[in-house]
Amino acid sequence: MRITGLETTLFACPPAGRRRTAGAPFAGCVVGLLTDSKLSGIAIGGSDLRVELAALTRQFLKGEDPRAAPALWQRMMDGRARSAGRAKTRAAMALLDLSLWDLKAKANDEPLWKTLGGSRPRVNAVASCSDGTLNDTELVKWFTDLAREFGFKSGMLRPGRDAGTDRRRLGRVRKALSSDAGEPELAIDAAGNWTAEQAIRRAREVERRFDLAWIALAAPRRDATGLKKVSDSVRAALCAGRGLRFPGDFQPHFQERSIDLVQVDIGLNGITGALQLADAAFGFELPVMLCAAPGNIQAQLAGAMPYVMNVEVTAPRPTEELFTTDVRIEDGHAVAGDAPGNGLGLNRAALARAAVQKLPARSSGR
Amino acid sequence: MKITGYRVEQYLMRLDRAIADCNLASGVDLLPGSILFLETDENITGIALGAGAGLDGLFKFIEGADPREVVGLWCRMNDSLHKIGNRGITSFGLSAFDMALWDLKAKIEDAPLWRTLGAREGRVKAYASGLDYCLTDEELFAFYRRMAELGIDSGKLKVGLDLNADMRRLGIMREALSVASRSPALMIDSNEYWSPKQAVRWIRRMEEKFDLIWVEEPARRWDYHGLRQVSRQVKAAVATGENLHSVADVYPLIANRAVDVLNVWTGHSGVTGCLQVARLAQAFDLPVSMMNAQANYMAQVAAAIPNHWMMEVVDPGREHCLKFDNRIEDGFIVLGESPGWGVEVDEKKLKELQAHPPTGRGQFPFPRREGAGRYIVPPAKGEVPW
Ligand SMILES: [Mg+2]
Repeated sequence: MRITGLETTLFACPPAGRRRTAGAPFAGCVVGLLTDSKLSGIAIGGSDLRVELAALTRQFLKGEDPRAAPALWQRMMDGRARSAGRAKTRAAMALLDLSLWDLKAKANDEPLWKTLGGSRPRVNAVASCSDGTLNDTELVKWFTDLAREFGFKSGMLRPGRDAGTDRRRLGRVRKALSSDAGEPELAIDAAGNWTAEQAIRRAREVERRFDLAWIALAAPRRDATGLKKVSDSVRAALCAGRGLRFPGDFQPHFQERSIDLVQVDIGLNGITGALQLADAAFGFELPVMLCAAPGNIQAQLAGAMPYVMNVEVTAPRPTEELFTTDVRIEDGHAVAGDAPGNGLGLNRAALARAAVQKLPARSSGR
Repeated sequence: MKITGYRVEQYLMRLDRAIADCNLASGVDLLPGSILFLETDENITGIALGAGAGLDGLFKFIEGADPREVVGLWCRMNDSLHKIGNRGITSFGLSAFDMALWDLKAKIEDAPLWRTLGAREGRVKAYASGLDYCLTDEELFAFYRRMAELGIDSGKLKVGLDLNADMRRLGIMREALSVASRSPALMIDSNEYWSPKQAVRWIRRMEEKFDLIWVEEPARRWDYHGLRQVSRQVKAAVATGENLHSVADVYPLIANRAVDVLNVWTGHSGVTGCLQVARLAQAFDLPVSMMNAQANYMAQVAAAIPNHWMMEVVDPGREHCLKFDNRIEDGFIVLGESPGWGVEVDEKKLKELQAHPPTGRGQFPFPRREGAGRYIVPPAKGEVPW
């Protein structure tokens, strides 16, 4: 099988019934990697990457056998060594890697998790509310709905104005997620917006009443010294990795043990980079959290990683009709099915209706 | 497809030439061999060259499973060894099942393993390694010249007991390789015989005359202080790893910056474990180098490792009951399109070997030589032919 070309579609659709991120439309870019067979490799990303995708495909993928997905990832990384750190180049590489692996699995007529050598993924799912602007009522409704329908027992939310707000909101989320099964697991995603000192004060204050399982990005993502300081001062595990673009960026974190839980984002690292990171983390005895991705296909990787703790879920099922996924959330777990490839299916008619020439300025890619 | 059973065939092999390091300087030419055959309900069999031990205890974790889920099965087997530890001979059992499972996974796809693992080309740079402590100077030259004529431009010499002889033989190796390159890459391997400071003293002396690219196992496998010290005090890179069994064993070396080149192999818990080690090394920008293997079968894995440097080729002649689909060309191991490992067992030859076991000089595994890590015991009269 050889790669012949690429089709990309930009889409934007208004927020569906349940609100996503403060009314921002769900928007992004659908990639179809075309081959000389009937198969095409599908991936969905969150921004307009058409220029980068086309250039990378022309330069590195045309005429290649998609079964060499990992080698092609390395080829793109080496070939664009100078610009591989740019957000758009890197995200485009990751999208192409996802499409290549989709093809590699489809060529075997098997689900991606099996191509990766994994056992069927059934992995703890974390309901992650990435919208910090929701008021308490909206927040409680979001978590209550998710707990009821999907059985989430673990929740992560953005911090509020101050520790008092955090405690109030954590209390409500805890209640929303509580069940007969017992106490839920609670976590905060500070998104790198605090300094280490702020993080220590805030977290210690919150920890007087709440047992936080982890705090994501309690300090800027590269600040290994700061994160280590926080980790040594709070009970919660420190979690970081999102936004780091090269395996080497994780070196100081591994070396200093500045993080206790490694975020791995297929949206930046593709599947190839994610597998590398997961094995490196395993070598350092660090568990992995797989960051949210459209259709929750990140769960496909869980069975092939030796030390996965959980997957982050921001949308338990595609709320728009643009695409379908073979990963379902049940009883608080993400479970992958048997559909060949990464399990993403496109609703071509709906996609055509949602197609746009330019993405809206504010949008959500998940 | 389901795993249904397995069998192990043991045999003895007489090498075409003897091999040695400084620990057993007189060398051996008789080695035990074993092959694991992993059977399925669909008439495809996976093999692993080297069967380890403790297979019965591990088999229940893969029985009835789909071999394509090999990484998940690796985790299950690894977890099962929690208390006893993924170590020693048991570790080789886990490795063997993992290797046979990967063979099956590739065979199900009807692809060579390098393709299943995602390599773009079935091609791996080779270096020559004579395991040559028991070779005469003439045999030493002949071995490296034969390798150089295949385009191999790098060589690794066994050293350790006699500095003058080591220096002379380094010169012979360089001369033999010089037809492949004007400046062949030279390496030495002392197999943990020296103390770290002995290593520094001898290597510094060697470096006055030779540009060594790496020195292998100049201190003990787990001694990260010693390995790091050697790395800092000599120009050459420190290579180590061949006596470690998992990524967990490698972690202290990397965390303490005690290794510059990681020797990787099947003994790092199979293909799955070997990839884990390679990926950990990659995150720390370290190159890895695949250890030698019968029929060079591990080149299948090396081809798929992006931070792989070059693979050890010993070629002592130990493939009498194997047919394999790879060759050395222009200094590279070139892998064919045969599925899986690209290795087939000639069962008729194997039966012959079992029925009429060859005789020879054998002691395996190599012991540690007297004096190791403390004082040097030079070769006794007649112990080495040089
Ligand atoms: Mg060695």
